[in-house]
Order: sequence, then structure tokens, then C-alpha cells
Amino acid sequence: MQTRVSRLTLLAFLGPAVAALLAVGIVPLLYAAWKSLHDFNLTRLAQQRFVGLDNYAAVLTDASFWAALGRTALLFGIAVPVQVALGLLIALTLHRPGLSAFKALTRLSLVLPMATTYAVVGLLAQVMLNQKYGVVNQMLGWIGIDAINFIGDPTNAFVAVVLWDIWQWTPFVALILLAGLSTVPPEIEEAARLETKSDRAILRHVQLPYLVPSLVAILILRTADTLKLFDMPFTMTRGGPGSATEFIAILIERTGNRQFDIGLAAAQSILMLALTILLARLYIRVFYREV
Amino acid sequence: MKTTTQASVLALAAASALTAGPAAAWTLEEAAAPYAGTEIEVLFLDRPGYAAAIEMLPEFEAATGITVNYTTVPYENALGEQVRDFVAGGDLDIALIDLVWIGNFAENGWIVPIETFTSDPALADPDLDMADFFPLVVDAFGSWNGVTYGLPFDNYSGLLFYNRCMLEEAGFTEPPATWQEVMDTYGPALTKDGRYAFALQSKRNETQSADSFARFLWPFGGSFLNAEFRSNLNSPESQAGLQFRQDLMAFMPEGIVAYDHAEVVNALAQGDVAFITEWSAFYSTLKDPETSTIVDCLGVAPEPEGPAGRKPALGGFSLAVASQADEAEQAAAWLFIQWVTSKANAGRYLELGGVPARQSAYADPALAERFTFIPALVESWQEGVPEFRPRFAEWPTITEIVQEYGTRMMLGEVTVEEGARAIGERMEAVLEEAGYYDGRKPLAQ
Repeated sequence: MQTRVSRLTLLAFLGPAVAALLAVGIVPLLYAAWKSLHDFNLTRLAQQRFVGLDNYAAVLTDASFWAALGRTALLFGIAVPVQVALGLLIALTLHRPGLSAFKALTRLSLVLPMATTYAVVGLLAQVMLNQKYGVVNQMLGWIGIDAINFIGDPTNAFVAVVLWDIWQWTPFVALILLAGLSTVPPEIEEAARLETKSDRAILRHVQLPYLVPSLVAILILRTADTLKLFDMPFTMTRGGPGSATEFIAILIERTGNRQFDIGLAAAQSILMLALTILLARLYIRVFYREV
Repeated sequence: MKTTTQASVLALAAASALTAGPAAAWTLEEAAAPYAGTEIEVLFLDRPGYAAAIEMLPEFEAATGITVNYTTVPYENALGEQVRDFVAGGDLDIALIDLVWIGNFAENGWIVPIETFTSDPALADPDLDMADFFPLVVDAFGSWNGVTYGLPFDNYSGLLFYNRCMLEEAGFTEPPATWQEVMDTYGPALTKDGRYAFALQSKRNETQSADSFARFLWPFGGSFLNAEFRSNLNSPESQAGLQFRQDLMAFMPEGIVAYDHAEVVNALAQGDVAFITEWSAFYSTLKDPETSTIVDCLGVAPEPEGPAGRKPALGGFSLAVASQADEAEQAAAWLFIQWVTSKANAGRYLELGGVPARQSAYADPALAERFTFIPALVESWQEGVPEFRPRFAEWPTITEIVQEYGTRMMLGEVTVEEGARAIGERMEAVLEEAGYYDGRKPLAQ
């Protein structure tokens, strides 16, 4: 039986969602794109003027921008592979039969790190990693390791942010991969287990193909998350010491909210949006083809 | 500009004196009567001076029928919150102005000169007595380009807070009088057994610019800008001061670039360092047994002198009426500002933990005995530099540059000379774009 849906009904159901998307997503984006073509600083509005692509030229020739982008890429390059490796390990463990009560508890505890507000995670890190009074250095002291200057040393601060990011987002990766594993048809997995006892072979030839969509989703989401990573490092180190943890989102916030240069910050944001879209398309093309 | 402002303060004082006769019957209650029921909005910070004002608020509200709605924000958010509110024509009726925001607020027309209210006999308290404020403080915190906009509120001078017991243990009977003594004598003697002579708050935010970088420019004869508004950071004096800061790090805790106010105050309060240079506002924290273990050992002195004199750090705020407020809100806002900074309330404000900028409040020797920071504060406010940090509208951009390269300098990622040059070049680019070099803007800071 074919049901006809009137145009009015379609509009009534879709209209509010489209209007909301326009209001909170598309219009602000277009406004930001328009403002990125202007010299638009909140503290000198009288001098506001159209400058074409000057803001983009300023961003692309700014060493601080490239340094922040490089730092963000390094964070991504270190943290995400570790998150995927650890997440896969956790997912495979939870995917095995048995110990159902323990696994339920583990699943629940996996939600906690990513359910914690980013800013709170950063503040916790600041307190826990304090060189003199922090609990981490206290525990290191118990095993004879001297207190480490986590926040005041550029390299240590960067490493601390990487570790904190791994702590917070490994559970997310694990849960996505666990969901991916549940899409493997049981009869195929059982048949494979009759053929081989090698877990590695089953992972490579049976489970991994089903995990590809999950991995692509993880890459896209973690890329977007890393590019907009702000709250945690901001509350933890404020981008310092020096510029050691000034990731791209912190640089943009500094430009827009502290220097009030909205035009320049908008240009930086639009470039980041373009980069995110580009990387997302790249992941889909490359990874879907290879496996 | 300083002379002009002081002249305007004196003129206001004279005007107040002349009108004292006919306005003798002026009362806050009568002045506020037309504005009863008005609500005014202001941002406050989570600092002792604001807690003191909040405790005093019910008195004002009961006397006037005006409601003061305050929102407490962290310092780092206060500028952004206000700029966005003023640009968007928001609710704020009072501007809370840091020393370095006055040029920005005044040039954008976001605040009203006090003359608007002091010239209105219905609103001007005959006891306003502008000459009673420390002239340096009115000049630095409340005035821009010869016009006074704000009345000083929650003002600080940098002071030397020290652990007298620690100094005595090391054989010192007095705190250091000069920075050279800190480097040559106090530093080596007090840095041992996991404890340090000195902690300089240097975190990459306004603390780096105001409390760390600028603190070692002025006492050594340096400055941010020369008379032509070109960078003066590579002058021999500025370089000497910045290099001195670098060398002094040998006597500071490791990771000092991650220390903000809370960390250095805590380091002194826990007996980990012998002295710090901090704002007068932290006196109440260091004197409170709940937050300090050195209450009986706490000493306060003016900051050490450099080759060019003391020139201590200058920080704090003024309150000004926001021009976006309507007429009734402006009047109500002025009455509140005038009342909370008044001579009559200064003693009580001090008792509650605030630091008033009224000279008369510090004249009582009994108070100086109770609040041991008073003599040092009064001495410091005699010889400060209003442009300790330039107060023009471009400072929010320039401070970010100073913060970045100031910390990189301390970390050894760039040399003092390279860092100063990098700041200078970027600072001049900002000033050029703003129009200081082609005559579009006056060379006011």
C-alpha cells in the first residue's frame, strides 16, 4: 500500500529542524565567513572595513598559526594511535564471552572519563600534577621517583596534555569499536574460529573489515575534537608554558576573545573548518579503498 | 597628561569646596529618592576588595532603594565580558576598569566622565573630596587623556611580602632594600634545602606582563616605549632589567613560568619561599590563619629598588558609569560608585578587607599598626608610574605578545635580546596599524 505524504506534512516535520539548523549553524557560519573578510575588532569598531582576503593572508603567513597547527597535529599523531590501540584491546577483551557482570561494570566505568566536563578534566590535571602538592608526584615519590615539574616545563606540559587526552578519549574509542565488533555476524566469527585458533588472523580477516566504518568514524570525530580541543588544555596550562600547549583552538580563542580581533579569528576558524572537511573526505576515500 | 589630570583633580576639589556651603544639606537618601527601585548591574571579581564591597551593599540598598546586581567573574574573563556587553548594548551600568583598560573604554565612548555627575548638585556629594584620593591612583586608574572617568576602587601597589622568621634564621634583620641585594646576598643565602629566596608570578596571562615583565623594566630605567612610541625594550636599561629577571630565576622555584598569583602566595604562606612581590590585596590572605602558616612571621615592605628607583608595580581598578545605561541608571550607578569609594566608607572598607585609595583612611596610626601593609603601600603610591603598562586601547593585543615572548624568554627558548626584539617589532606593527605613527592618534599611554 502506498501512502502519500502531503508537502505540508513534510514541511511541518522537517521545517523546524531545518530552521534550527539554519539559525544555529548555517547563518552564524555565513556571518563568520563574511566577517573574516573585514577588519573587525571589537575595541575599534569605528575602523571596521572590508579587507578582502587580507585576514587569510595574515593567518597563512603567521608563524604562530603554523606552530599551533603543528602542535595540534603532533598531539593528534601521538594520542589517536595510542587511543585506537588501547581502545581495540579493551573492546576485544569486552567482546569475549563470559564475565558479564564484570564487563557491565567496565562498560559503565568507561563512560565516566568522557562524561566528565573537559574544563573539569583540565582543572583536575592542574591540581593532580602540581609539582609540590599534587597527588601524582606524591605517588611517584612512594616508588622513589623525584617530583616532576609537569606544568612548568614545556615538554612535560605537552606530554601531560597528551596523556590526559588519551585517558579521556580511549574509552570513547573502545566503546565505538565494541559496537563495531557486535556487527560481525556470529556465524561468520564461529566459522572462522573453526578454521583457525589465531586471534590475530580472525581480527585481521574477519573483524577488521567490519571495524572499518567505526575506525573512520573515530578518525573523523577525533580529528574534529582535536582541532577544537580547548577547555582541557586551557584550564590546565592556558596554552603555556611559553607556547608549549597552545593548540589551534586556544590560538583562535586568544585572537577572538582576548585581542578581540573577530575578523582574524573568523578567518582562522574558516580555515580550520576547511581543513576538517578535507581530512574527513580524505579518510573516507583512503580507508574505504584500502581494506 | 599626568599634570593635566592632577590639575583637573585639584579643580574638582576646589569646586567641591566652593559648593560645600549651599550643598551642606545633601544626603544620599534624598539624592537617591528619584531613583528608588532602579536596578544597576556591575561585574565584580572574586577578590577580597569585592567581598568587602558586597558586605557593605545592604547598607547602600537600604538607604537608597537602589538595587545593585553584581556578577562575580574571574579576572581573565572580566574584560571580554564587558567589551561584549558594551558592543552589544547590554545590561551593565557600571564599568569595572583595570588600569590598562581605561584607554580602550574611554576611546570607545563606553564610559561617562565624572564631570557629568560632579557638576550636578543633586548627585554630587559635597564630601566627594577628589584631592583625598592618592593623585597617582586617580591619574593611573581613573583618567585618560586628561579626563577623569572613574573613581579608584580596589587598587593595589606591588609590595614585598616576606617571611620574617625565615630571614632571621638566615641572619637578616631587614628585608632586601634593593634588587641587587636580592641577587647578591638574599638569594644565595635563602635558596637551600628545597626552599627558595623568591617566587615571581610569571604565568602566561596578564600576570606575565604586569607582574613579571614590567616589574623588571621600570626600576632598571627601562620602559615599553620611548617618547616617539617606538619600542624601548632593547635599550640598555630595559635589557639590563630583563636580563636581571632571567638571572634571578636561579633563586626561584623550578617551573616559575607556571606560577600565578595563587601559587606564589601559597608558596609564601606555606613557608616554601622567603619573599614575594605581590599586590597589596593579598595581605588579608596571608594574614588569615586558615590560608597561611606564616601569620606571625609575615612582614610587609615596599618593593626593592632598582638602579632607577623603586617604581613599584601598579594595579587595580576604577568604577565608572557606563554610557549605555539610561539616565536613571546612570544616576543610580554614580551614587553607588561615589558611596562605595567615599571618604566616609574608606575605613570600613579597609576593615572588611578592601584597600581604599583614600589618603585620609591611612592617616590613623592605629590602623597602620593593625594593617601592617599600610606604611609600605602609602610609600609605594607616592612614586609609581601610571603607564607601568601602557593603558591605550591596543594593550589587549600587545599584552598577548608580551605574554608569549616573556615566557619564552624565561624558558630560554629565545634570548632576552631576541625576545625583546620580537616583542618590539610586533608591538610597533600594532601601533602603526592603530595610527600612532601617522598622526591619526595622539601619543597617549
